[in-house]
Amino acid sequence: MAKNKWWSIGLALALTGSLIAGCSKATDKTESKPSDSASAPASASASASAEQSQKPLDKVTFTYFNGVAGKKDRNTNETTIGKALEDQTGVNFKMEFLVGDLNTKIGTFIASNEYPDVLVPDAAIDKVIDAGGFIDLAPYIEKYPNLKRVYGPYLKQMTSSDGKIYILPFSTVVGDFVPDPNINQGAFWVQRRVLKEAGYPKIKTLDEYFKLVEDYVNKHKDENLTGFLTLTHDWRFFATSNPPMHLQGYPNDGNVIVDMNTHEAKTYAGTDATKQWLQKLNELNAKGLFDKASFVDNYDQYIAKLASHKVVGFFDYGWQINNAQLNLQDAAKKDPAQDDFVYFPLPVTFDGGKDQYLDPPGFVKNRGLGVTVSAKDPDRIMAFFDTLLKEDNQIMKSWGIKGETYEVDDKGRFYRTKEEITKIDEAFREQFGFKYFDWDWPMYNTNSTLADGNALAPALQPEVFQMNLTDKDKEILGKYGVQTYSEMFSPPDPRPWYPAWGIPKEQGSPQQIWETKKDEVTKKYFPKIVLASPDKFESEWQAYLKEFGKLDTAGYEKWYTEQIKGILDSLK
Amino acid sequence: MSFPFLIWLFIFKYVPIWGWTIAFQDFKPAKKIFDQKWVGWKHFEALFKEDAFFRVLRNTLAMSGINLVLGFVTAILLAIMLNELRHAFFKRLVQTISYMPHFISWVVAASIISTVLSSDGGIINELLMALGLIKEPILWLGVGHYFWGILGASEVWKNVGWNTIVYLAAMTMIDPSQYEAAEMDGAGRFKRIWHITLPGLKPVIIILLIMNVGNILETGFEPQYLLGNGMNLDYSENLDLFVLRYGISMGNFSLAAAAGIFKTVVSFILLFSANGIAKRFGEARLF
Repeated sequence: MAKNKWWSIGLALALTGSLIAGCSKATDKTESKPSDSASAPASASASASAEQSQKPLDKVTFTYFNGVAGKKDRNTNETTIGKALEDQTGVNFKMEFLVGDLNTKIGTFIASNEYPDVLVPDAAIDKVIDAGGFIDLAPYIEKYPNLKRVYGPYLKQMTSSDGKIYILPFSTVVGDFVPDPNINQGAFWVQRRVLKEAGYPKIKTLDEYFKLVEDYVNKHKDENLTGFLTLTHDWRFFATSNPPMHLQGYPNDGNVIVDMNTHEAKTYAGTDATKQWLQKLNELNAKGLFDKASFVDNYDQYIAKLASHKVVGFFDYGWQINNAQLNLQDAAKKDPAQDDFVYFPLPVTFDGGKDQYLDPPGFVKNRGLGVTVSAKDPDRIMAFFDTLLKEDNQIMKSWGIKGETYEVDDKGRFYRTKEEITKIDEAFREQFGFKYFDWDWPMYNTNSTLADGNALAPALQPEVFQMNLTDKDKEILGKYGVQTYSEMFSPPDPRPWYPAWGIPKEQGSPQQIWETKKDEVTKKYFPKIVLASPDKFESEWQAYLKEFGKLDTAGYEKWYTEQIKGILDSLK
Repeated sequence: MSFPFLIWLFIFKYVPIWGWTIAFQDFKPAKKIFDQKWVGWKHFEALFKEDAFFRVLRNTLAMSGINLVLGFVTAILLAIMLNELRHAFFKRLVQTISYMPHFISWVVAASIISTVLSSDGGIINELLMALGLIKEPILWLGVGHYFWGILGASEVWKNVGWNTIVYLAAMTMIDPSQYEAAEMDGAGRFKRIWHITLPGLKPVIIILLIMNVGNILETGFEPQYLLGNGMNLDYSENLDLFVLRYGISMGNFSLAAAAGIFKTVVSFILLFSANGIAKRFGEARLF
């Protein structure tokens, strides 16, 4: 009975469909085919989608999986921003976030060949592409004006080796490039009280930096301070192995540094720069200034130590220490005396020359979002992305709603009032949707500007940054004669390949194996070298070199050089 | 009645063996079986040629051996001691406390362990320093050759109570009249344990031993993964971690499968030999 009913409804729909299609013959090209019974339903749906462009769309829910943990699962239309987008497009996404291990989760998708409609595979991008999990997005980018506007200039970089586009990256700069006034990238950090006590010296070289730390610790013997700490836990080990690159005045290209003139990629893990860095740590350790537990602590213990007020200095990337730094800053906002413990970033190099800690405008090719082969209606999804990339919607997703979460002054500059800033706390960000649309959707790069010159990201708008500063912040910046933290650092040189770590490597390729093995060797030997007594330093270093020498480093460098030359050629 | 079970067994235990074929291919996910490239023993050769493989195998065997011996000895000792207790409340209390840690996940347990061993206020270091046995805190997790010991101790702490349950159950099966008779003959407490309790436990001990020998390459990977770091890598990395690092996270499923087959074959041999030995000595056995 029920079966009959559905059958007859279907038939009736098909008939009405073909009737409408028949009437609109003049506009509908698909109808030029001789009409037989089989083509009737097809033409019906074709005419239905033609109608959709005028009428309000049916509501539809797609699934969205994000391979980055840390947010609560939610429907986009339960947030203010998501609701507004649903009103415009009729599309809702059921967002799911990673719990557990990324590779396991992605592996399950691949093995079953069943994916969510939209997938943000984070580090597992190559696996999904290899398994044929993503559809080619190139035709859609041609079709939709906003997609074309945002991605058009980057199409060459987005195209994979088989000529298709599988990934919409999150890093396409639209408009001008606004530098981040904060330091979210690498820096040598030091407690503010250290600078205060030393009379705000200009610290440029590694020796000066360690001298500063040493003097402070020696003067405050009774406080049981830790001079220097490094982060080594699991994949975050690069916080300990990357400094030689930065100390030579290069930005974070990963395992290689790239010569600006010859564009040769060279690894540095076995060079004198690394030796010099480890020797410094070894000396610190011998003086009792280095925290030996650096090599056994996990990430949580590390963050806890940074928040404990006991650690004088360390090297790390701003985004990794956010939790600790925000805690310290919040405390300093309530009680200015606590400002002493907030960390201040310094651009330190071996020789005090030009630093390159700040990210140049870059293009991360191996992170992004794709539409999968399981997607029910890719066109509808891409139409949603197109709407999302409209300038108005980009303003909404980062600034919010005028009068509620931001204001515009008579010169057209966006800003936030004190009340708005206090209102936008974590709970609000979640409810409003800032948190969900912060990243991991087709978007302008955070460093982009809007057509009217305002910064896309509120935190990058100088007015907002200034308002967020405490008196103490202004005081210390004033001592160095700068307005923002990033002004402490040299402006970045353009590097079209940047970041080199973002160049995709094939699964199980020699490059990937080199990286895995190199990680293993450095993780094993660096602790030995640093913690050795100074007279054993040289022999430990030689033992490491011997082990490191077994890797095909030349092949790895050659591959990277070719990739970088390829990128440069493609831009010519 | 057993037919549905047979179907279940077939589907979930035998059909997956089909997956072993990927060890002989350069496996690419989502491609059909006929599109895969067959490479024979290549991945097995790669496995055995890898320097790290034998180090990893040594660690696995060592850690399993330690766990096996320590696990048996401590569980049997605790079970016997509990059995000798006459005070029911105290007995239950000890039992409950000792099997509590079994229910803590390794993630939490590893945090507890690394906090206890921390050089920065960890209780072990504090205690040793207070007793004057050491001058400076020791980086327990940073010294490779301490790792096996730390792992063995952690496993005992976590599982000893749980493991006693089966022995306590076995002890209740021993006829009390034997104890009475022994007492009449003038056997003391230790004589009774030696001549009645232990022989009563023997079949259970042997069966469990056989089963555990079969699992000797399965040290589990959670404690090693969670407590391991660069400094103790040489002693902490076991087969499962090796597979995780070189197989699964690099998308080399074929190598992972090859290592899995290797494990199965070794386990199979060990299980059959243990069972065969038990049979020869006329003891209780698995099959």
